[in-house]
Amino acid sequence: MLQKFEISACFHSGGATPEIEAMYNGRHRRGVPSMNLDPDAIEKYRTRLRHKVCYHLGFLCPDIDDIIQETLSRFLRVQATENIRNPGAYLSGVCNNVILEYRRQLWKQGSVERFGPESSPKGDHALPALAVEPEADSLELRDAIRAALSQLSERDRNLLRSFYLEEKTKQEICQTMSMSDGQFRVALFRAKDKFREAYRQGLKHATPSGH
Amino acid sequence: MGDSFADDRLVREEMIRDYLLRKLDREATEALESLYLSSDECFEELETGRLLMLGLGQARVEAQRLEDVTVLRFTGPASLIRQSQEMYELFDGVRQQSDTKVLIDLSSVSRIDSSGLGLLMSCYSHAVKNHGVLKLINPNVEFRNLLRLTRIDSVLECYDNEGAALQSFTQS
Repeated sequence: MLQKFEISACFHSGGATPEIEAMYNGRHRRGVPSMNLDPDAIEKYRTRLRHKVCYHLGFLCPDIDDIIQETLSRFLRVQATENIRNPGAYLSGVCNNVILEYRRQLWKQGSVERFGPESSPKGDHALPALAVEPEADSLELRDAIRAALSQLSERDRNLLRSFYLEEKTKQEICQTMSMSDGQFRVALFRAKDKFREAYRQGLKHATPSGH
Repeated sequence: MGDSFADDRLVREEMIRDYLLRKLDREATEALESLYLSSDECFEELETGRLLMLGLGQARVEAQRLEDVTVLRFTGPASLIRQSQEMYELFDGVRQQSDTKVLIDLSSVSRIDSSGLGLLMSCYSHAVKNHGVLKLINPNVEFRNLLRLTRIDSVLECYDNEGAALQSFTQS
């Protein structure tokens, strides 16, 4: 069993930890110029960092929350004393470091990286770790995606499929669907916006609170 | 990157698509990630693109009942790789089974990585926890070699065809 990823802050998922709250409050007490980093902004970063960490380590990684939390802690520690000019780039860099350290730690512990791209099973450690379950709400989300797609016209779906999945060029799509460059742009973004709106509406109906 | 992202929506969309398809180089990946970490608009476009690709590319898992065994198979080509939608589909397919004897047909699975192998083990442990039996059928040659190399085949039984797998249930 893989040892717990050792991190400096006390971690728990969801909401700002006491450490993060303390850093946030401390920053204000010291009069460091605000970067509009309120708890809501931290949660926003958390969501986006989740995307990044999952992208690089896969959603089956059991330590995603710890990595996000460590990233946020480091970021806020620096942010408490310095003005960070480009928070997105800085946060991304910090997250890259934490991911790298996490990978190194796995190797140091003699564990094969079992969910990352550099996976290379060796010897007796070859059995992959038991994966954590995908997000509990994934089934509902997928239903919402399907429902939203079903509300688009066949032409819109074909256009989106050609662009996103079949990776056809603009020229190829225009030729196949007999449209001009301008028409293609308008049709593509309208289809995407229609999908987004239908998806949002679907989620609203699925959860009465709208969340 | 910020300028080009804001200026041309099509360029941005192509960038997002390539990122999601893992076709951007390291530098461009880092630039896009930095951008979506700070830009609401960029993150929203990325999320919508991701959802769209998930929806458009879904290969569903179908369940077929053969005697007292349920066979789960993909309706189209599938990849059991990190973040693939098929991973979710398969795991949900296994979780939703009330039958105790389940076969996973791998004939449509062309790619698998360590996450996919981990998922198969999760499916297996889920079945065992629920007093069930889970076996694999129709893996391609590479897949079978991988199962042997990782010794997963010592835990998860694997058969070359449906008939042999069905027979194994009767014998056990």
